[in-house]
Amino acid sequence: MLSLKHLQDTKLSPLALLDTAYIIVLFPLMLILKVPMLLFSFMVLALLFFKKTPADKYLILFVFLMGLLALYLSMYGLFSFRGLSRLKLFLELLVYVLIIVVSMQRLTKEINFYLLLSPMLFLALSLFFFHGIVMLSYVIFEIFFLLWLLLAHRMDGDMIESFRSSMVMFMYSLPWVVVLFIFFPRISFDHADYGFKGEKIQRMGHDGTMFLDSKALLVPSDRIVMEVGFDKEVPSSNKLYFRGSILYVDKKDHWETLPKYIKRENRTYHPMQGETVEYKVTLYPTQKRWIYLLDMPVEAVNDSELDSDLISTVEKPIKAPLHYTARSVLTPTFHDDLDQDTLDASTHFDPERNPKTYREAQKIKNHYKKTDKRASALVNFFQNQSLTYSLKPKALDINNSADSFLFDRRLGYCVHFASSFVTMARMAGIPSRIVTGYKADKTNSLNNYLAVKERDAHAWAELYINEHWVRIETTNTASAIDGESAQLLGTDTNQKDKTLIERVNLYLMYVKYQVETWILYYSHIRQLQLIQYAKDNPRFVLLFVLSLLVLVLITFSITAYFRRPRCRHKILCIIEPLVKRLRKEGYIRKKDETMHQYFLRYMKDHPENSALKEVDSYYEAVSYGGESSAATMKQLKRMVEKSLSS
Amino acid sequence: MNYTIASEFTVLIDAIETHLVGKRETIALSLATFFAGGHLLLEDIPGVGKTTLAKHLSQVLGLDFGRIQFTSDMLPSDILGVNYYNQKEGAFIFKKGPIFTSFLLADEINRSMPKTQSALLQAMEEGSISIDGTLHTLPKPFFVIGTQNPHEEVGTFPLPTSQLDRFMCSFGIGYPDSVSEREILKGERGHSSAVSETLLRPQQIESYMKQASEVTLSETLLDFLQEIIAYTRESGVFEYGLSTRGALSLTAMTRSWAMLQGRTYATADDLQAVTAVVCSHRLQFKEGSTTAKRIHDEIFTHVRSDI
Repeated sequence: MLSLKHLQDTKLSPLALLDTAYIIVLFPLMLILKVPMLLFSFMVLALLFFKKTPADKYLILFVFLMGLLALYLSMYGLFSFRGLSRLKLFLELLVYVLIIVVSMQRLTKEINFYLLLSPMLFLALSLFFFHGIVMLSYVIFEIFFLLWLLLAHRMDGDMIESFRSSMVMFMYSLPWVVVLFIFFPRISFDHADYGFKGEKIQRMGHDGTMFLDSKALLVPSDRIVMEVGFDKEVPSSNKLYFRGSILYVDKKDHWETLPKYIKRENRTYHPMQGETVEYKVTLYPTQKRWIYLLDMPVEAVNDSELDSDLISTVEKPIKAPLHYTARSVLTPTFHDDLDQDTLDASTHFDPERNPKTYREAQKIKNHYKKTDKRASALVNFFQNQSLTYSLKPKALDINNSADSFLFDRRLGYCVHFASSFVTMARMAGIPSRIVTGYKADKTNSLNNYLAVKERDAHAWAELYINEHWVRIETTNTASAIDGESAQLLGTDTNQKDKTLIERVNLYLMYVKYQVETWILYYSHIRQLQLIQYAKDNPRFVLLFVLSLLVLVLITFSITAYFRRPRCRHKILCIIEPLVKRLRKEGYIRKKDETMHQYFLRYMKDHPENSALKEVDSYYEAVSYGGESSAATMKQLKRMVEKSLSS
Repeated sequence: MNYTIASEFTVLIDAIETHLVGKRETIALSLATFFAGGHLLLEDIPGVGKTTLAKHLSQVLGLDFGRIQFTSDMLPSDILGVNYYNQKEGAFIFKKGPIFTSFLLADEINRSMPKTQSALLQAMEEGSISIDGTLHTLPKPFFVIGTQNPHEEVGTFPLPTSQLDRFMCSFGIGYPDSVSEREILKGERGHSSAVSETLLRPQQIESYMKQASEVTLSETLLDFLQEIIAYTRESGVFEYGLSTRGALSLTAMTRSWAMLQGRTYATADDLQAVTAVVCSHRLQFKEGSTTAKRIHDEIFTHVRSDI
């Protein structure tokens, strides 16, 4: 931002104000503009810069044609009438058209309604493209800036005066903005689809099936799936497995859950050994029916069901944020009396496929009689295959995916590891299945708060050993991780430390979560808890009241700061402390007194203050004599200090 | 008023003050009006030293002194001069009137008819007179001190505002203070008819006038000045506001007053010091009597320089 001093006497023309507004609102949109459109924008900028006179109709026509060309090139290949039903593409087209129209209007050098309105439109449009804290902060800045420019426009371009006014207005509104931001439902593509087809963005996330073909690139998304608040510190990463669904059926290119006709019994109570944790989950709309619980859940939550595989579901797809409290035992294993159907499903494999894997599995099966020995032999085998973890694996031979992964490509992510492991385990005679869900990362936690993101989606294996299901982290058998994936996953050693933005983001999420937990949802019970807590901790009450006071104080002091009468001239600012001091001593400047007479009056009573005489003469020289060198100003300042100290 | 006259002008004031005791400020303001290139209107009762001031001022400045006593039967030609037919030469000859002098005392100017008044006032404004189509230039510098008696109403023709505007300043001399009066009564000082010594050469006068016109008026001061002018026009307390000529007189006097104090720039104090004398004959309160002090107070309690 420009410095205020610089703006002291700046008066901007309405066109300059408008241009500033455009620069501010177009800045984020520049990031989505395709190169031809970007070039077009720069061309218009250059035209505006070099051509000082209003454009004639030929130039406007030329700009229009260039705009169309840029639009055509930008949208080439994307554009079709069917494509328009995709919201993002539609919005992008809207932005392009708006840019062309604004460019044509702007070249006429006249302000009209369209030009005044379109900065707001651009701002609104940019909200569709960007989410997250950075954009939020920028939007707040944008709103402030537009307010400022609007006021400046009203005040004939007086930048400094309008800044003060807009700051006052803004400071008064800020608490409300914050409150509205917290309480107001936020728009997202999930909600804003309004008849548009959903975006087919391939991303990680749990959806109850597991595809093995990896022709599409997987983009680790930072979208929050759920937020978890633990009753104590967040457990270590290797315990943060959230169960989603269990896949039994190998369909060559993907895995599926048990067919509908095999009804899983509801879980009957079985004591589990291990550390018990209690946690509260805010699950964001998934449009699916799964409720994610930490391995291994003890009981069903709210209206959900918990089956004997410890999978929890609700009756209808989750379309609004869901809040639940759950209890789990942090153990990798649990007891299960397996029924025949399930046993069949978890031992089934297609002997026709994956011959190499089958041969290796048979070796293990024949060598070890005990299931647990077979399992560890299997893990050993995987570890010796020098498999590499990669988010961009080469396509596997889908007919023999395990063979292709284990002996040929040797590249893959959790899906491929789990799939091959389970396939081979079954061939080796161990009943096994794939669990999909989320494995949270403790680096996304703060105190007892944990954010689970879409990129945390994961798949692992469970082996049935000695009447217990035992969790096997199959990706642990990878001997390497390729650089790109490491970077994408944020596990690259060079990037281990989170960037400042990420840290801030996490803090803000934490704050938002706390607000939601404490204000939006658990109202009654939480209130009682809070009162109880406050009773036990008088310091908390004190802090609470204090921080409220501080907030009010900050708002008021900032408002007061911007409302105070300001010294219009540099010189008045310099001598202000002196005038204040004289006023304190009872010398109030009379209405018809000049500063010189005022000083003289004081000096008459205080002849000992010799510095004041100097101040007076410097003051006159600066105010009237046109003496404004930095040295004189400095000297004056020194004299003011001197006369203050005497 | 707070001011310190520079030493080179103190000498002049001292010289005049020996004849006009206790009137230093009046003398200083007269000098300032002279250096500002304006004319002065002294408005006071007879016998307080108007003529004394004019006479000694002209002597100290070393200027030709001319005096016209205005009467009701005076004609413009009595002031300006007349073209008469010289039979010997067979041609019209211009006989210069008393106005052809550097320092003119126009005594009791309001006693003459408006026609005569305006003849003088036109000459004051333009520095030249034209008679029968011939232009006659008046000497330079040309300084007029007009006097008028405020209370005498019978047989007077009050100067219209437009004519008054031609005088840069207007003030009275007033009674001397008791200490000075005592000295005068004792006959120790003042009102002597002795001739004052000439203290300035014509070149010096010219250079001082030039100096006065070159005094800096800062933007801040001009802001203040404009606020004052705007106040006289817009506040509604005066019959009519300060004219542009009045405003120009105000700047010229402010500059000249600053120069008398040996400064090259003018301050808000200078402006305050001269505002009343420049405005007192130009502004008229809608209600109540108009005095210099009242004008000063009215303006400066409402308009204030922040600087």
